[in-house]
Amino acid sequence: MASSREAERDAWLVLAAVEGVGPRTLSALVGAAGGAAAVLTRAGRGDWRWLPPELPLAPQLRARLHAAHRPAPFAALAARMGLWMLTPLDASYPARLGVLPDPPAVLFGRGSPEALRGEAAVAIVGTRHPTLLGRALASDVAALMAGCGAVIVSGLAIGIDGAAHAAALRAGGTTVAVIGAGHGHGGPRAHRALEAAIVAQGGAVISELAPATPPTRGTYPRRNRLLSALSDAVAVIEAPARSGALNTAHHALEQGRPLFVAPGRPSDPATAGCLRLLRETEARVLTGPLELLEDLGLSVAPVRAARGSPGEPAGRAAALAGLRGGERLVAAALCEAPAGLDRLVERTGLEPGAVSGSLALLQLRGWVQAIDGTFLVAGVLSHP
Amino acid sequence: MLATLVTAVVDGLQGSLVRVEVDVAPGLPACHIVGLPDAALSEARERVRAAIRNAGFEYPASRITVNLAPADRRKRGAAYDLAIAVGILVASGQIRAEQGGWALLGELSLDGSLQPIVGAMPMVATLVAAGQRRIVLPRPNLAEARLVQEAEAVGVVGLDDAARLVAGPRGRRAAQAIRREPARVSSPAVQAEASRPVPPAEDSSVDLAEVRGQPGARWALEIALAGGHNLLLTGPPGAGKTLLARSIPSLLPPLDDREALEATVIASVAGLLREPTDLRRTRPFRAPHHTCSYAAMVGGGSRVAPGEVTLAHRGVLFLDELAEFDRDVLDALRQPLEEGSVAIARVSGQVRYPAQVQLVAAMNPCRCGYAGDPQRACTCGPHEPERYVRRVSGPLLDRLDLRVAMRRVPVEALLGGPAPEASATVRERIAVARAAAMARNGGRPNAALSGSAAMRLAALERPAMARLQQLAMRDGSTARGIHRIVRVARTIADLAGRATVDESAILAAAGLRDPAALPPQALAA
Repeated sequence: MASSREAERDAWLVLAAVEGVGPRTLSALVGAAGGAAAVLTRAGRGDWRWLPPELPLAPQLRARLHAAHRPAPFAALAARMGLWMLTPLDASYPARLGVLPDPPAVLFGRGSPEALRGEAAVAIVGTRHPTLLGRALASDVAALMAGCGAVIVSGLAIGIDGAAHAAALRAGGTTVAVIGAGHGHGGPRAHRALEAAIVAQGGAVISELAPATPPTRGTYPRRNRLLSALSDAVAVIEAPARSGALNTAHHALEQGRPLFVAPGRPSDPATAGCLRLLRETEARVLTGPLELLEDLGLSVAPVRAARGSPGEPAGRAAALAGLRGGERLVAAALCEAPAGLDRLVERTGLEPGAVSGSLALLQLRGWVQAIDGTFLVAGVLSHP
Repeated sequence: MLATLVTAVVDGLQGSLVRVEVDVAPGLPACHIVGLPDAALSEARERVRAAIRNAGFEYPASRITVNLAPADRRKRGAAYDLAIAVGILVASGQIRAEQGGWALLGELSLDGSLQPIVGAMPMVATLVAAGQRRIVLPRPNLAEARLVQEAEAVGVVGLDDAARLVAGPRGRRAAQAIRREPARVSSPAVQAEASRPVPPAEDSSVDLAEVRGQPGARWALEIALAGGHNLLLTGPPGAGKTLLARSIPSLLPPLDDREALEATVIASVAGLLREPTDLRRTRPFRAPHHTCSYAAMVGGGSRVAPGEVTLAHRGVLFLDELAEFDRDVLDALRQPLEEGSVAIARVSGQVRYPAQVQLVAAMNPCRCGYAGDPQRACTCGPHEPERYVRRVSGPLLDRLDLRVAMRRVPVEALLGGPAPEASATVRERIAVARAAAMARNGGRPNAALSGSAAMRLAALERPAMARLQQLAMRDGSTARGIHRIVRVARTIADLAGRATVDESAILAAAGLRDPAALPPQALAA
């Protein structure tokens, strides 16, 4: 019995490897023949009578099916690269993908397949060249969600994607990267270390494309449907008028996934796409990480608990009230807007040395982070 | 008849003695120069012949052999002309050389007058060190030569003067030689050009009083100059990086005697000394353009000459638009930054130039300049900012202890606000702090201290040490990162006039450290 199931799975992989057979054709063929192995056997005999009239196969496709043989061509490469393969026949195939009319015939992955079936999963997507604030918001949302147990799903691209993955890892959480090319081509080279960290921390890096498939124009939009399908909600952080994140957002709406969009200033090109989503679709406004948590029905309490230190103040006001001297002035100035050393000296009227020292103290507390010489509030100070 | 004279060659900054041996023998008229001469030296033949005739002497119609000993060392340039010409006069019996004679340096013109030479000062120093104190050289090089103690240098205008000196009171033909007038020039325009005083080096330096706003960057610059720390200024175009850097010359303390001598030797070898000359007292500030070639930066070229790193020895090398420099050129800076000197290998041997420089660099964060801006989105492609910064290699970035991100100064600060401090005030503070550091560290700035020496000499107060440990644990800093904080904190304390490093200095230094060294960035793009 077990061997026949295995044979069926092998046959499925062989069919999935045939050029021109997509997920839709594959499931139609298997449905008509009553099994993947049956499709292969009949095609091998040149028997096409079982094909339903609404599925007329092109002669080349028939020829390729006729010539298909085990094992699937990509199987050896996948094994060599240490990839696992998941098919809809496997019990651990993520159930969330059932929302798709064309769920991937095979998922190639590295890391832990269980990450795809987490209790809660949130996709965080956005532009490849974010502003500092966008990057910080993505990090904050990802850290909070990951901290309360949600799996963070994103696309491993430079920019918002990378910030979300990295923040989830720093928060000790699990994160899943869906890439738009075969594993042999992988994500951006600058993210090789990030990729390894995702796998090492119980997450997964997956693709529906065979390992040798190069990225092309069409692969990313198709990948985007998986980002939303694998998640319970989608957050769009920063998207200009033309952005892959908008494509993901539309998939989310089609699939009935709640869509949260961080707004921007009307004149700001960096968030033009976000504003259009908010105006033209039923997307909801993302006002902050904590609110998103509430909207998703996740509990805030474990987050506070997970943040550890019992003396941690409950909010920004309490945190500011607990500070003294230069630290308080600097923190208050940063709560208004991120700034560099020069601006902080001007705003607080302190000596540069005192400002620099206060920044070091605030960074020690984890309440301020520095990115490229600009200082931003973090931790409790970023939750008003 | 044979004549032997002494002259010198300079190789790197070191000179060595060269003997010029001239033999005039019967035979077909010809002149051979042997002893590894280069092209300019081989042409000495023609210059010497014309100069001898035009100075009123006779060029012997005999077989002349000139040997430059030691014969295995390559000799360059035209500084041997005078020695060869006088050697021919002595060997042909036209003048008689005094006992314990003169060393001769100088390039000849066809009319018999002398041209100034490059590197006169180290040559004179070499001759004096070898016991050859009486030296004849072109008058424009005289002031330079007099910087060498115990040198009995005489500046002459033409071959005839030199011949008279060499022949002494017993010279025969020498007394009848045609008297050369100085600077005989053909056209009035050339004459005007020659008589014009050399304009002072273009002073593009800026007083700090002209730099508005940017209190943080000014503070970081003060620390950098007081402690010799390498500094990187980043920021969008128009943030004032270059303006701030241009104020550096007005902030640097002058060179002391020993340093001044070194700087003058370097300037002499590079041919940058002009009359009236004196010891170089101003600390060098070199700002090569980013199109600067490899040889121009580290030295070298077919005629080996010191590069920008050597010209900036004991001073500041300012590299504007750091990422636009050629990769090779930047990587070549690693050796001088680590060793304080630069070695140029040639087939004919190795030349080593001193290059203890403090590096101050400025760059945009990306091509468009807006990466990391809180409000404005960067218009570069997704990978570009990273690629842009990566043009500067990691090891070099690692050597830049202080990094300050500058932002454009808001208009209100440009137009109003308190008047900024002038350079003179800041220079005073820097000089005091630097002197204190030098005295404590045995003549080295804080930045040059090794890790263990920094920990020993910093005199950390107890709370400061506790804070340092906390910082190290929290950030997982490397020993290198910790030492960096200690060195900078030591300088901050020096500027505050404190003997020990207190907690606030440690914290201030920690706030100034490289933001990219913080762990949250380790995983982010």
